[in-house]
Amino acid sequence: MIDLKGVTLTLNSQAGPVNILKGIDLDIATGETVSLVGPSGSGKTSLLMIVAGLERATSGSVSVADMSYNGRSEDDLARLRRRSIGVVFQDFHLVATMTAQENVAIPLELAGAPNAWRAAAEALDSVGLGHRLTHYPGQLSGGEQQRTALARAVVAKPSILLADEPTGNLDGKTGQQIVELLFQLRGDSNSTLLLITHDPGLAKRCDRQIGLADGRIVTDSATQVAA
Amino acid sequence: MGELSLAWRFARRELRSGLSGFRIFLACLAVGVAALAGVGTISADLLNGLQRDARNLLGGEAELRLFNRDLTAEESAWLRENSQALSAIAELRAMASVPETGERRLIELKAVDNAYPLYGQVALTPPQSVPDGLAFRDGQWGVLAAPELYRRLDLQIGDEIQIGTLRFQLRGEIDSEPDSGARAITLGPRVLLPLEALAETGLAQPGSLVYRHWRLVLPEGEPFVDWTERLGAAFPDAGWRVRGLDEAAPSVARFVGQVRLFMTLVGLTALVVGGVGVANAVRAHLEQRRDTIAALKCLGASAGLIVKLYLVQVLLLASAGIAVGLLVGGLAPVIAAPFLSDLFNISLGGPPDLVALARAAAMGYLTALLFALIPLARAQSLPAAGLFRGYVDTRKLRAPLWLWPALVVTAAALIAIAVVGSDNPIFALGFVGAAAAALLLFRLAAGLVVWVARRLPRPRHTTLRLALSNLHRPGAPTVSIVLSLGLGLTVLSAVTLIQANLSQQVSEELPQDAPTFYFIDIQNEQTAAFDELVGSFPEASLSERVPMLRGRITAVDGTPVPELEIPEEVAWIFEGDRGLTWAEQPYPDMTLTEGDWWPADYRGATKLSLGDEIAREMGLGVGDTLTVNVYGRDVTAEIANLRIIDWASLRINFVMIFSPGLLDQAPASHIATVRIPEAGEAALADAVADAFPNVTGVRVREALESFSRMLDSVALAVGITGGITLLAGLLVLAGAIAAGERRRRYDSVVLKVLGATRNVLAGGLALEFLLLGLITALIAALVGSLAGWVVIDLVMQADFTWLVEPLFITLGAGLLLTLFFGMLGTWRALGSAAAPLLRNE
Repeated sequence: MIDLKGVTLTLNSQAGPVNILKGIDLDIATGETVSLVGPSGSGKTSLLMIVAGLERATSGSVSVADMSYNGRSEDDLARLRRRSIGVVFQDFHLVATMTAQENVAIPLELAGAPNAWRAAAEALDSVGLGHRLTHYPGQLSGGEQQRTALARAVVAKPSILLADEPTGNLDGKTGQQIVELLFQLRGDSNSTLLLITHDPGLAKRCDRQIGLADGRIVTDSATQVAA
Repeated sequence: MGELSLAWRFARRELRSGLSGFRIFLACLAVGVAALAGVGTISADLLNGLQRDARNLLGGEAELRLFNRDLTAEESAWLRENSQALSAIAELRAMASVPETGERRLIELKAVDNAYPLYGQVALTPPQSVPDGLAFRDGQWGVLAAPELYRRLDLQIGDEIQIGTLRFQLRGEIDSEPDSGARAITLGPRVLLPLEALAETGLAQPGSLVYRHWRLVLPEGEPFVDWTERLGAAFPDAGWRVRGLDEAAPSVARFVGQVRLFMTLVGLTALVVGGVGVANAVRAHLEQRRDTIAALKCLGASAGLIVKLYLVQVLLLASAGIAVGLLVGGLAPVIAAPFLSDLFNISLGGPPDLVALARAAAMGYLTALLFALIPLARAQSLPAAGLFRGYVDTRKLRAPLWLWPALVVTAAALIAIAVVGSDNPIFALGFVGAAAAALLLFRLAAGLVVWVARRLPRPRHTTLRLALSNLHRPGAPTVSIVLSLGLGLTVLSAVTLIQANLSQQVSEELPQDAPTFYFIDIQNEQTAAFDELVGSFPEASLSERVPMLRGRITAVDGTPVPELEIPEEVAWIFEGDRGLTWAEQPYPDMTLTEGDWWPADYRGATKLSLGDEIAREMGLGVGDTLTVNVYGRDVTAEIANLRIIDWASLRINFVMIFSPGLLDQAPASHIATVRIPEAGEAALADAVADAFPNVTGVRVREALESFSRMLDSVALAVGITGGITLLAGLLVLAGAIAAGERRRRYDSVVLKVLGATRNVLAGGLALEFLLLGLITALIAALVGSLAGWVVIDLVMQADFTWLVEPLFITLGAGLLLTLFFGMLGTWRALGSAAAPLLRNE
């Protein structure tokens, strides 16, 4: 489902080039749940962005959902995301000027689905926000915003779910509710889940735990290899 | 199509959140479009009015004009037979005096027959018909005069005035004439008198400056072109000038066209200045929407959709601004109609011209697009991952392939609308090129300011350091301010400088040897007595007295004028009669550029001295010939020399000076210039008028004042448009400063925490804006001076004086406006309480 070989990422900063990822090899099977852990600056988010097609690897090959990213245009990758990838962020990243229902409908609208609004309402209902359809993000609590983001991530029934510290901006109780919801929604569609977290408990809940440090994979529970 | 409808749907959702952040965007477009639409609709209204009132303005459906010659019996009979109605008038300048007091006034005289006016009405007080007012009653002819004459000479209806040698009774006041048109320069009030009485006044002598017109109603159903063909065939050598309805008021049409051109271009500059505000607003909007753009990209939105989404928003918002501009511009004729209707004597207030409104709207959309393209392209290129990370390496960003073609096409379309169909495409293109160069210059200058500010050694003084760093820190409004205010101030300085130069030339600094009086229509037999009378005033000096005839150029080197290709600059010489003279010797100070003057006793084949500039425009030189029709007779003369004519000297000048021999036999009147100190002016004018009632004295200063008044009206119109450019610049300035308010508040709070007083902070801000204002105004003054020089020296071909006052005005305005708006926009930042902001941060 997700196949990365020798992936490196170097970004230019004002201080000069920074090597973010230094040769990542990673193979994730369909339906697998994987947690990415590691200190800040270890390259977790960059790895997630590369899988999402939002960042281009400097070298190496990336293949997601049977599509090789090499030579693909930005629009090709955008179409892939519409079809196969749902993303959840720590900061929710809802469109502030759109209601909850409109936010959730976006992926379906982009894909040209005819029943986007009804499906969005159902998705919001499934995360317990059926009564908040017309509310704007600013009128929702943090937990409600993340639920909306979750509904938006799964509404198009993607085969891959990417989550970047989805509970990082929530209190413990609300965070726990979101985690339950995330796993429930993933289970419903048997999606592959790649999850970044600092929470060891949450990481352990995944089938596989991968540890990153300084741009390299340092631990992988699947292989039980410690570098 | 699917993406477009999606973009439309998303755009509508985004715009529901309101228009905050777009106020400057809307105002900039509204102001620019209003200026363009206003200029367009007002000028269209004027030109439509000219067409509507063409019969009134021309006084008929066709007009024939002859200089100082009546119709022959044959011509008169032909015109009567070939028209439904015919009316004759004569126009000249003369002196009117009050017999009891001896007070005098130069008047614009119009002698009319009983058929006058063929079209329209002469409004009179008390109400009466023109023939009634002018009728011979109680042993006297009547005259009708404009209220100004009554006021100036303290006259009442029923009083007597003398015109030439004849006394008339004042019978009424002229409130309006249908055929007065827009006489930009009038030397005195209008007086109507009966044509039958003109001969008795002694004013219409051979060689006198009398224009005779015949207005007529064309035969039923006959087009003007056919009629003129028949007229030309019947009288091929009559030498009259024939005008139809499309030339009812050619000078007004030309004037309106020129003012429209200039004001449209200045309006376009205002719009382009506003474009900087548009770019700032779009950039700020997209900056605020980084998260949204990133989220949409994450959710699978294509780069094209992102561009379309924000393009739709820009166009929707532009529509709102443009609609406001069109509303104001569309209403402008209604506001201007009463004033302009009086000025041009035409009926105004028709429906707004849709073409003018469409042009203004198109320019508005294209400007919005032109200035939004770069921020839009940037939004497309920004990587979503970088947006989430909060850091984007802009050095790696590549402009999308469509950007440059789109910029070029949009700019070309904007220029095409401004240039194509304008009254002078070459001038328009030059103006657009100069504006673009100025824009580029200010952009470079702004970059230089930022570069220098960054590289200067850090001053030890906190206030100065703050001011300097504010000029170059990321997000500083330096570029926006220099660019927008710079162009506005450039227009202001150019307009002020041009206006001051023209005013100075026409009124303030008359040449040292400029004459006090022009005396016209001195008859041959009066010349000796006239010279003697002037000589009897010891303080007066007769500068020049020369014979004057009128003639029409009919051929150049044997080629008839209609077959010639005449450059526009010299076309006026070929339009109807021109004054000409003959001379035995060159005038003092005359400079020949080619050829030699003829011997003083030369009486051979007629030779000609021609103005140098005109000859060069026509490609003529010594040895070429001109044929001139003088009083119905063709005189062919070989060019003997070319000479420089300095019209600004105000001395007597003629394009054509002939050798004596043939023309000195033709009936001519004389024109003389006299210099006399102001104290003696009135006595000399009285003495000449008493001794020679047919001679008209024109005070040079009064004539120039009349010209100056006309210039003031034009300057006001241009000044208003120039002011609009400055307004657009100020809007951009205010917007740019407001955009940085959050940053300034943060800075000021942090500095307050560190112990900075309000005075230190205010001083830093004031210094920053003073520096910006000073630099901008200095460049604007330089560029404005250059533009002023181009207009005065190259376009108007007059002497340019670099005047200090207008430049001080520009500098002062630049400094004060930047300081005022800068401090106004940042004052709130100074008053920010530290604690809440720090808690929020």
